[in-house]
Amino acid sequence: MSDNLEHSFVKQLQENQNIIHKICRLYTNGDDAHKDLFQEITIQLWKAFPKFRGDSKFSTWAYRVALNTAITLYRKTKRSINTIEFEGRQHFLNDVEYDYEEEEQLKLMYKAVYQLNDIEKALIFMYLEDKDYQEISETLGISEVNARVKMNRIKGKLKKILNPLGV
Amino acid sequence: MKELDLLKKDWQKNTNSFEQVSEIEIYKMIHKKSSSIVKWILIISILEVLLWTCLSVCFNSDDYLIKMKHPELIQYFEVFAYFNYGVILFFIYLFYKNYITISTTASTKQLMSDILKIRKTVQYYVWYNLAMLVVSLIIGFIIAFVYNPEMSVLKDKIATNGKVMAITIGILTLTTLVFLGAFWLFYRVLYGILLRRLYANYKELKKIDL
Repeated sequence: MSDNLEHSFVKQLQENQNIIHKICRLYTNGDDAHKDLFQEITIQLWKAFPKFRGDSKFSTWAYRVALNTAITLYRKTKRSINTIEFEGRQHFLNDVEYDYEEEEQLKLMYKAVYQLNDIEKALIFMYLEDKDYQEISETLGISEVNARVKMNRIKGKLKKILNPLGV
Repeated sequence: MKELDLLKKDWQKNTNSFEQVSEIEIYKMIHKKSSSIVKWILIISILEVLLWTCLSVCFNSDDYLIKMKHPELIQYFEVFAYFNYGVILFFIYLFYKNYITISTTASTKQLMSDILKIRKTVQYYVWYNLAMLVVSLIIGFIIAFVYNPEMSVLKDKIATNGKVMAITIGILTLTTLVFLGAFWLFYRVLYGILLRRLYANYKELKKIDL
């Protein structure tokens, strides 16, 4: 019975692991921290799995547990700085035909996102994942209206980081 | 925002660029121990509750009271002790109840507030014990002054000399304050390190909903 549960969990997690990778990418810098958070999220998901009834999709459920772990439960073991050197992330862009201006913009954009705080990152993350405001508000536990307002503020903040002089 | 659309496109395109973790690795991971903040809070909290419960159970004043030759005091203290056990049980119940409500599938804000609630319960327990300690000290001093025959010399001195009285009270107050201050500092440092990020994020979430 418990072996079955374990098997079903591992299989589903393996298929949906990119959700966790993406959250790790946003909340950590460096491979070690990435692996560390990935492991903690996996443990938390496994602990919560017996209560997962399957009335929502595995992925929807995983989003929430993973985000909660990253924002709330995870203890950063090493001191890490939020502003990341983008050079380490370049492999994400490799397979594109190079548009230099676009690439430069993307670099700056990623850099700007890393400067946001944990909660702002969560909102941006769900936005990038195409989640609607209802899901964003339910996941974070804030009202839908306020989630919208906050999202607009974050956009403003990003603009300011990209263009501090406002020209 | 043009840049954000660009980012979104790139983000979604790169979804599959991560080095994949194998099923075997996932099997290994789920048998490893969590190092989450809740686990640490739980460990520290249990140690705290144990420490204070031990102190209040082990610290037996009967011998001292018998020496005072006033056996009626023992009865009062017995009532006091039962009351104390009741309070300890109540706190343990609250602590357990708060712990089992913690769920990673709750909303982020709810999860944070549940974790902070556990912390609060234990904190109240510690403050209760500290208060009890101070009350016991005061009662102890009063009993010593009123009933303890060995204290009569000092008592006479205090009665005739205001300076001695002031110094005695001063020393007692200072001892209590230093003691409380040390505790306060200890907790500040201990939980400050553990909970700083959680508090900051919780405040941020609450601010959004104002």
